Amino acid sequence: MKQFINLLKISLNVNFGISALRYRFTKERKRLWEPVLIFLSIIVGGGSITAFYTMILQNVYMVGLVLNSPEIVIIVSLIIGQFTVFVFGIMYIISAFYFSNDINILVPLPLKPYQVLGCKFITIMINEYLILLPLLVPSIIIYGTGIKPGIAYWFKSVFIILLSPVIPLIIASVFVLILMRLVNIRKSKDLLIVIGTLFGVLLSLTVNYYTQKMPDGDPGQFVQNLVSSRIDIIEMIGEKFPHVIWSTYSLSKTGLEGFIYFGLTIIVFILAFAFLLWLGNQIFYRGLLSGQEVSSRKKRLSPEQINRKTQGASSPVTALFRREWKLFIRTPIYALNGLAGMIMVPFILLMPVFTRGEEMQDAISLIRQPQFIAHATLGSFGLILFTASVNIVACTSISREGQTFCISKMILVAPKHQVAAKLLHGMSISAIGIAVTLALVAIVLQLPLLRLLIVLILGLLGNLLLNILNLIIDVIRPKLEWNNPQEAVKQNLNGFFSILLTMVSLGCLAGLSVFLFDMGLSEWWIYIILGVIAGILSLLSLKVLFTLAEKAYKKLEI
Amino acid sequence: MVKITNLSKSYNRGAVKAVDNLNLHVKPGEIFGFLGPNGAGKTTTIKMMVGLLNPDQGSIFINDYDNQRDPIAAKRSIGYVPDSPEVYDRLTGLEYLDFMANVYEVSPDEKKKRISYFLEMFDLVDAANDLIKSYSHGMKQKIVLTGALLHNPALWIMDEPMVGLDPRSSHLLKELMREHCDRGNTVFFSTHILEVAERLCDRIGIIHKGKLIAIGTLEELRHGEHAGTLENIFLELTEQ
Repeated sequence: MKQFINLLKISLNVNFGISALRYRFTKERKRLWEPVLIFLSIIVGGGSITAFYTMILQNVYMVGLVLNSPEIVIIVSLIIGQFTVFVFGIMYIISAFYFSNDINILVPLPLKPYQVLGCKFITIMINEYLILLPLLVPSIIIYGTGIKPGIAYWFKSVFIILLSPVIPLIIASVFVLILMRLVNIRKSKDLLIVIGTLFGVLLSLTVNYYTQKMPDGDPGQFVQNLVSSRIDIIEMIGEKFPHVIWSTYSLSKTGLEGFIYFGLTIIVFILAFAFLLWLGNQIFYRGLLSGQEVSSRKKRLSPEQINRKTQGASSPVTALFRREWKLFIRTPIYALNGLAGMIMVPFILLMPVFTRGEEMQDAISLIRQPQFIAHATLGSFGLILFTASVNIVACTSISREGQTFCISKMILVAPKHQVAAKLLHGMSISAIGIAVTLALVAIVLQLPLLRLLIVLILGLLGNLLLNILNLIIDVIRPKLEWNNPQEAVKQNLNGFFSILLTMVSLGCLAGLSVFLFDMGLSEWWIYIILGVIAGILSLLSLKVLFTLAEKAYKKLEI
Repeated sequence: MVKITNLSKSYNRGAVKAVDNLNLHVKPGEIFGFLGPNGAGKTTTIKMMVGLLNPDQGSIFINDYDNQRDPIAAKRSIGYVPDSPEVYDRLTGLEYLDFMANVYEVSPDEKKKRISYFLEMFDLVDAANDLIKSYSHGMKQKIVLTGALLHNPALWIMDEPMVGLDPRSSHLLKELMREHCDRGNTVFFSTHILEVAERLCDRIGIIHKGKLIAIGTLEELRHGEHAGTLENIFLELTEQ
């Protein structure tokens, strides 16, 4: 037990970076603003979503009151919470159980498989609270303040909330343990990441589709109608997962009956956890160790093959551009973060046109009128500027090099040429985003060819400027220290700054367009002015980028 | 101390034989050098010994414990230093050592004594309270080494332990290895530095393409059909 607690302490420390935070508080005070900024972003971003969700739950509670089952609000939130934990949990579990960096440290230690597994499980469970608390706490408060069931309710609810991720995570863990025992998916790790992300994209598109389909009018009324008509489904889910019902009854029933359900729930959780540990002890290390093997084909290349693969000379910038593309496309986490958003966002933004065709038809017909064609062209330009720049390519292009940045420092290629290759890479990716959005705009708005050409030129110029500015961000503050590629892109504040920059640019563009319209200029002059401004700013920023790169490449140390 | 019998391991469903029917017996009190060209099967063998890989065939007994049947007891007898120092970057050196000592259930007094001893010896006292990510490669190697030795294991298994160490630390490590074996314990290590193997090892095993092609003391290896320095012996054997 002592060993387990010790292992858990270290695991939590490493996972939540407690020592690293302490170190930062005492020794790296200059970077203290970063966690504060991240925390504030979470509060601001998460707060608005939670408020909307609470409003929906309030309506569910009202329906429950009418149906004489106010506890339905708790059932609904538990189902939503547990489903979310399960979906997120699978990827979390695969990566924590089988792909984490500490496997090579832990396996040779005299620890039993269940100790390692149990400890990783609890760490994931605590991680899940971040998602789960905003999903469960509102319903507990709504029910508690509405029904006023007494002090025991609040006491039991703390335990129910803390234990609620257990069952979905155990189901996910058992599934993953068996899967990993049967197939060696480590060999297909990259494929797995791609499938997982595509699943996520599909899920978000589906959710978006149904959200957009929600009819106009009072959304509260819609939820009330939905819950009243689907009460049987909610009950059926409750029957399939009785712990949800028991958890709810342990809160909603008062007196001894409530405590019996509470005890029953706790026993189920303990038994399920014990089963997981038992199963883990049997099969965890077997799947883990079979996945440790790294395969190589060891196929001997003939001199001709070697010649073919290495023949031809190219300029340094071309060689670097190729390297950027190869590393980008062969690291799924980069490719997906760079490409998925750009392809997905235009569809999400234009989703109402497809889901609510009739209602949107009037608006679209209006936009297609000749007097609004300039607005439609500029709007399309703004859309392209947004969609083609929602990627992390330029703003992490130096960060992604990580420790291999030392190669960039050593090679005989001037920093300005190196960042030029990165810029070309960023632009080639933005070009994909521009093409997707332009095609959608062409279909939806049916802009004439000339306008499409203008949108294309302005889009390219605007994205050139944004990519240069994003590169400048990364030149100024690259994140070169990371343990896995995910950190280089997902835990890099440069992505956040890049979005801010895009928003500010869009604001400036909109302001400038309105100003130019107000001056009574013809639309052609407006396009020319915007194009010239983007071009001049790009040239100026390019000069700044090259100067900064020369300095930064000299100064940066690995 | 180490008894490896008919050990085999292949990758790609048998297409690549990394270790091929290996038989090896390392006695207590011995420093055993495990040599071989790149890709010969050294690290695969070591990983199977410490439990990081499962053998396809054969058995490994560590301190009389079968590492497949009784892995915990076998692991308790081992102090393992991997070829690349893999450590929790976001812990301080001291936190990592404390963790290792606790996992191996080293008593508090012993823990304090041994941590201080090794930190002092490897000149890590000033860095102990810093995050490991701020360490150099050599410092990481030393902290891993310290973590592996805290519980005073009977068998040290080290994969290229001298890589990254400064001359002083390397010298200290060699002395530690000698002292450890003089107390009746065992050191099993792989290396590419043949001079070190020549001077330090009581016995040497050379593995090539997964097969053990030579084993014995330096004298025994010289008495065979090969003669001269270990380098000559190694080159001749592995070129065949």
